[in-house]
Amino acid sequence: MTLDQDLVRHLSEVSVSVELQTPEMTLNIGPQHPSTHGVLRLVARVDGERAFDVRPVIGYMHRGYEKLAEVRNYPQITTIVNRIDWVAGYANEIPFITAAEKLMELEVPPRALWIRLILTEMARMASHLIFMASYPLELGAQTPLFFALRERERVLDLLEGVTGGRFHPNFNRIGGVKPAYGSGSQTRKLIQDLPKTFYEETRVAMDEVLHVCDQLEDLVAGNEIILARTKGIGVLPPEVAVAYGVTGPNLRASGVAFDLRRVEDYLPYDQFEFNVITGQNGDCWDRWWVRLQEIRESARIVQQAIDSIPSGPIQAKVPKVIKVPKGETYVRAENPKGEMGYYLVSDGGQGPYRLKIRSASFSNISILPWILEGVLVPDIIAIMGSLDFVLGDVDR
Amino acid sequence: MTSSQPEAEAPEQEQETVEAPHPLTEFANSVAEAVGGEAVITFDTVKVSVPADRWAQALTTARDEFGLVLFSFLSAIDWSNETAVGDPLEQPLEEEYIELICTVSDVSEGKRVTFSTRLDHDHPEVQTLIDVYAGANWHEREAHEMFGIRFIGHPDLSHLYLPEGFLGHPLRKTFPLLAREVKPWPGKVDVEGMPSEEGEEGEAAEGGEGAETEEEEA
Repeated sequence: MTLDQDLVRHLSEVSVSVELQTPEMTLNIGPQHPSTHGVLRLVARVDGERAFDVRPVIGYMHRGYEKLAEVRNYPQITTIVNRIDWVAGYANEIPFITAAEKLMELEVPPRALWIRLILTEMARMASHLIFMASYPLELGAQTPLFFALRERERVLDLLEGVTGGRFHPNFNRIGGVKPAYGSGSQTRKLIQDLPKTFYEETRVAMDEVLHVCDQLEDLVAGNEIILARTKGIGVLPPEVAVAYGVTGPNLRASGVAFDLRRVEDYLPYDQFEFNVITGQNGDCWDRWWVRLQEIRESARIVQQAIDSIPSGPIQAKVPKVIKVPKGETYVRAENPKGEMGYYLVSDGGQGPYRLKIRSASFSNISILPWILEGVLVPDIIAIMGSLDFVLGDVDR
Repeated sequence: MTSSQPEAEAPEQEQETVEAPHPLTEFANSVAEAVGGEAVITFDTVKVSVPADRWAQALTTARDEFGLVLFSFLSAIDWSNETAVGDPLEQPLEEEYIELICTVSDVSEGKRVTFSTRLDHDHPEVQTLIDVYAGANWHEREAHEMFGIRFIGHPDLSHLYLPEGFLGHPLRKTFPLLAREVKPWPGKVDVEGMPSEEGEEGEAAEGGEGAETEEEEA
């Protein structure tokens, strides 16, 4: 008995007198990790539970599209750019096609623009719904995944019905969109651009998407654990965000009401009513919340567009062999991840002389060393997930 | 014509300017005047060229005086007569150069300016923009490995995409696509020998057909 008490006293004295040593370690996250959305590697110095000096290592998926674009012609490049941000492949085509059309000074028929706009918003919904599924999963909540992916599948089905592809539609043509039926055959005169049941199915799907937004809000916004893991975590001040070129929902979550759909004229967004959603604090929670609201706004835009879509041709007159006149321009668009733009330099040939691809995720994750400085190790995952990047969009 | 400094020359860019005053002309001229460069509007893109020694200074002015706080991208164009891949320039250049471009934007009205500067083709170097826009860091690393531009004052110009020890600068026009050196592009086979399209080479099968149908119906 006495021995035990002595031992206890001895141990308690030891544990009090010994200072807890936290030797600095290097923690390697990835390149294979569920929260990296591709292959991203983070090298962090860790002291206890805090991470310092986080260094993202990218380039595992670099496919050299900018070089490849120099040896491809314009219709072929549409296929390549689909693969940049594969979660919203359709949206990648828009700024590229618009840039080429701008240099060719083509007037695109309104119906084609409406179809592009509807599909772009669907791509945005699909991309944000994937975020709604994966982000809570990274924080340990599995249920929202099933709700979000179910509706995402509904949206992708619509996209597939029109374009023939769920992820890589390759649907845009210079001067319009691809005729879905009767293309390539000179005997068939009927060209049907949208499937017969598209309007009704879209109306139903948009109602379902709006419904699942309510469900997701109930599931996630009322969850104390998620709130504790995201509120006040990873705060991104607006002035830092703009200096790093962070755009899209990440920038709007920091309170900057900047939406390229409002200021650029690549698609007729001025015909529709929608709100630019902004957050208050710029933390992980706001980034989740802004994306949820944006799904709702996108559904509203699609509902309006379905009602107001004009009839008419879907393709402007273009020559058989596309040659883009000499010139250069920069066209940017509000993609689901942020500002996606193409700086297109043409020398009058069948392919670009130089195509600079400005992708949203590249700039969005360049903030990582800043935002992950001194955070807790589990928060690395929470913050990284909230930035919603895709490695195909980072590496190009 | 929107050039604000008549003493500086803009040889091949002047023909691209539009004749009627573009709505952005006034804005373009005021930026050009403030940074001491010259402005051209090409297809709704305001492009201001500045001398290389005033590069960082010009971007600082743009950020502080014009509210162009959002760093969009920085990259380069290799204007070269010699090309290993792709079509060469229609008219050969008198002097080859590397054009550095950087687009910045405001976050209210969507005004954006693409700044551009000429760098020496063989030894391009310029002041870094990190102190002006923190986001320039990665973009400059990319431009460094892809074009071989040296950014003076950049803390870490290590490779971003390419493995360490990679030789050459892939986005230079003289850098060959090695896969194509070994074997010509297999896609060429697909577009040859179609009975209805004889005599038209280089046309993409799918895109060409879509356009063709449309044209014949109209």
